[in-house]
This record gives sequence, C-alpha cells and structure tokens, in this order.
Amino acid sequence: MKILLAEDDHHVAVIMKLCLEKIGQHEVVHAEDGEIAVNCAVAQAFDLIILDGMMPKKNGLIVAQELRSIGNTTPVIFLTAKADEPAYQTLGAGYIAKPFEPTLICARIDEIMAQFRARGA
Amino acid sequence: MAWCALTAFSSGQEYLATQKQIEDSVELRADAVWLEGAPYDATTLKRMQTERAQIKDEVRQTQFSDILQAYSSRDEHTLRNRVSTFMQREYDLTRKSTSQIQKIRETFILFALLTALVPLFGMFIVLLTVNSTVFHGIDRLSRRMMDFLADRYSFQFSQPDANELGDLQRTFNSLAQQVINTMDELKQLDQAKSEFLSIASHELRTPMTSIKGSLSLLGNGIMGKIDEAPLQLIKIAETETDRLIRLINDLLDLAKIEARKLPLQSSWSIWDDTLRTTSTGLVGFAHNAGVNIACDAAPGVEVFMDKDRVQQVLTNLISNAIKFSPRGSTVHVYTGQTKNGHLLINVRDQGPGIAPADQELIFQKFRQGATAENPIVKGTGLGLAIAKALVEEHGGDIGVESELGKGSAFWFTLPKWRNQSETAASA
Repeated sequence: MKILLAEDDHHVAVIMKLCLEKIGQHEVVHAEDGEIAVNCAVAQAFDLIILDGMMPKKNGLIVAQELRSIGNTTPVIFLTAKADEPAYQTLGAGYIAKPFEPTLICARIDEIMAQFRARGA
Repeated sequence: MAWCALTAFSSGQEYLATQKQIEDSVELRADAVWLEGAPYDATTLKRMQTERAQIKDEVRQTQFSDILQAYSSRDEHTLRNRVSTFMQREYDLTRKSTSQIQKIRETFILFALLTALVPLFGMFIVLLTVNSTVFHGIDRLSRRMMDFLADRYSFQFSQPDANELGDLQRTFNSLAQQVINTMDELKQLDQAKSEFLSIASHELRTPMTSIKGSLSLLGNGIMGKIDEAPLQLIKIAETETDRLIRLINDLLDLAKIEARKLPLQSSWSIWDDTLRTTSTGLVGFAHNAGVNIACDAAPGVEVFMDKDRVQQVLTNLISNAIKFSPRGSTVHVYTGQTKNGHLLINVRDQGPGIAPADQELIFQKFRQGATAENPIVKGTGLGLAIAKALVEEHGGDIGVESELGKGSAFWFTLPKWRNQSETAASA
C-alpha cells in the first residue's frame, strides 16, 4: 500500500516508517505537520492516511475533516495517545493507541482496513 | 398611662374616703337614736363629746353639738326635733354618698382596666415592630443563606441594613465571597488537572512510543540479527518499558476516573460475550503460568455497562488470580445474584490467600499485599484501585473473601442487568 504518515514527533515517525516499510512492505510518505499532510494528500493519491492526533498547525481531526470536506475519501487511521476521543471512531476507519507494539502494527492496520471495507460493503 | 393610673389611684382614695364617711354617718346616726331614747347620763355625755370632737364635717359637728346640748338640757322635744333634722341630713348624705360611691367605683374599674390594657397594647405594638424589623430581617437572611446553600452563589446583600442585622448581612456577604473565591480556585485547579492529564497523556506516551518501538524493532531482529548477550539486555529494557507504560496508563486512568473525566459509554451488552473476550485475551498469559481458566456461562444475561471498562475490571481480577495461582490449578469465574438482585461476578483462585489485614489495603493505590510466602508479583499496585473505581462508577461494589492458604475469591457487582432468556420465556 502507499501510505501517508503525518506525525510531528521525529522519533515516532522514524519507527513507524521502519515498521511499515520493513514489516509491511508498504511505501511511506512522511509529513511533519497537519498542513503538509493536507497538501500531500491533495497532491498524491494514497491507499491509507495515518494521522497523529496532536500535531502543530493542524491536528489530526482537523486534517481528516478538511480532507473529507474536499471530497477525499482515502481511509484514515488515527495514531493517538488519547484513545477516548469518540471522533477517532466516527471520522476515521479506526485508531492505533500510543504506545503501540511495532511488530504488531501492520497486522493491526490490516485488521482495521478489513473492518473498514466490511463496513463500506 | 400614668394619667390613667393616677386617676384610678385618686378614685380609689376617694372611694375609701366616701366609704369612711358613710361608716361615720352610720355610727353617728346610731348614737343620735340612742341619745334620743336614753335617760340623761353624764358619762354618756362625756363619751359623746369626745366623739363629737372627732367629727370633721362642720355642719355635722354643729348639728351633733345641738343634739348634745338638747340632751344635756334634757329638753326631749328639742332633742327629738334636732335628732330628726340630723337624721334627715345624714340620710340624704348617705344616699348621695352611696350613689357617688357607685360612680367612683365605676371610674376606678374603668381606669384600672385602662391602666392594665395600655401596657398590653403597647407591648403588642412593640411586638409588631420587632417582628417586622428583627424577625423579618432574620428570615430574609436565613432565606438567602438557604439560597446560597442551593448553589445560587451570586446571592448576596447588595445593600446591608443600617443596624445590627446589617452587620450580620455584611458578615454573610464576606463569608459568601470567601466561598465563591474558593469555588473559583477549585474550578481553576480542576481545569489545571484536566490540562495536566491531557498534556501528560501526550507527553509521556510519545517518548514511550519511540523507546518501545526502537527496542521492539531491535529485539525482534527486524533491523538485523543481534547476538545473544546484547539481545538479552534489549529484552530487559523492553520488559521494563512495558512495565513503565502500564504504570503510565494506570496512573492516567485513575487520575481520569478521580477527576470524573472518564464518562462511561454504557449500553446493553451480552455478558457471556464480554466474559469470553476477556478470558480469550488471557489464555496466553494463563498458559505461560500453567493455569486453567474456567468460566461458567450465564446464558441470556445482559448488562447495562461500559463494555471496555468492565472488561478492564475482569481482566485485572482474572490476571491477578492467574499470577497468584499455583501451576496446574484453575481460576474459576462464575456469575450469580446478590440478595438485592444485583449481578454478582466471582473470580476464585487456589492461591495463597490474603491476610485479613491486607484485604482492605489491596484496593488502595500503590498497595499490594505481601508476605514472606507471598512476595509481590510485579505490578503497578493500581490495578485493584482502578477496578474499584470503575465498578463504583457503574454503581456496583467490589470486595474479596479470602483465607490464608485457602485461596481468594474476588467479587464485584453490577446493578443494572436483565435476563433475556427469562423475559423471552415469560413473553
């Protein structure tokens, strides 16, 4: 899959990128904040967008809302330290709670995507 | 009032004087009649003369002197005439006095009554005044206090009265202001706590994500093969990182529950599903410990609960039971009913049991029961405190029954439940 990863914390971003590339064999584009994420998502087509919940300039929820409002239907998975935000469930396909288990993250993404497709169908 | 009293007093005096006059008259009349019929006697004359000296009324004195003169001269005819004239006048006087005394008595009674009534009336007026100023003031004050109690914190006296009650009102105002200030401070503190929770969640978990991620990628050989010795160190670091993450999660959970920032998302859920999900999640853990999990099914039971949170409680109790169970034993989970109809969930193990002194303690934060035979099993010491808070948030109770050497049974109750198979059967 081609994945857009929006994550402001450099270290977390590096690890996520490694996991997705090394374990899941996915292609990853990294955006450092919400604004860059929106621009990337508009400029290129992705199979999945992973959004950090708290980012400078635009947080994950705002990015997701903006993308939806301009007709972008790419599935979104939130990456969050605060799992108890209901909007993560309604706006996105699902969420991954921080701190996550890196070896399991690709399996978790596959699981969320399968559920998302099942809901859509 | 003084005038009334004075009038009453003087009419009293007058009454007594008139009464005296009538008495005197009666006495003199008796003397006169007696003198008229009695033979002359010098001693009698002398006694009568003494009596005459005491007469105050001038006319009466003169008339009585005339009688005495006629008596001493032994002129019966003149005596009879004079006595008759005297008697006539005395009769008239007495009659007048009697009617006068009646009038005096009436005046006396009237003014005496007035004297008594005026202060009564005055007291009534005073009472009314006191009632309207003092009691109404106090009533108003107490009403505002009640309003204040009922959370209407803005309720103060804008303009305190200019008397002692005003002082009370001013005191009340300052007290109220103090309470309002404290409330504001508490609100700010609450706000600060919420902010702290939000920041702590993010700021603690983000570095933990990087640490755990790095260690996990290294330890699992994803970045290339690693020798046995360094791998062991990485595994230690990873295990301790996991422990730290658990502690952070537990602390934040507990802080959220205590700050009431953890709203339950309750719905009707099938109990057996929750039980199955929980025990399935713990199968690996139980297998490593060589312990079996046996769950009694409770078909048809549905509970109104936050499924995730109750699952957290169940996970905590069952994993505790597994931790303390000897190899080859079984952790038993069964569902029943309390006397007052709440759903009762029991988790029984065959572990070393908990000393009575520790049974209360273990539900407190950072407290774990520990004895020489029962060393602390690594944990955060927050699990049961969180379980207790979550169960109580659901309106239930939590507790333990245990005897040293005979295992423990942790139980909790959930008040809102129904049995679908029963309703189906009855319908």
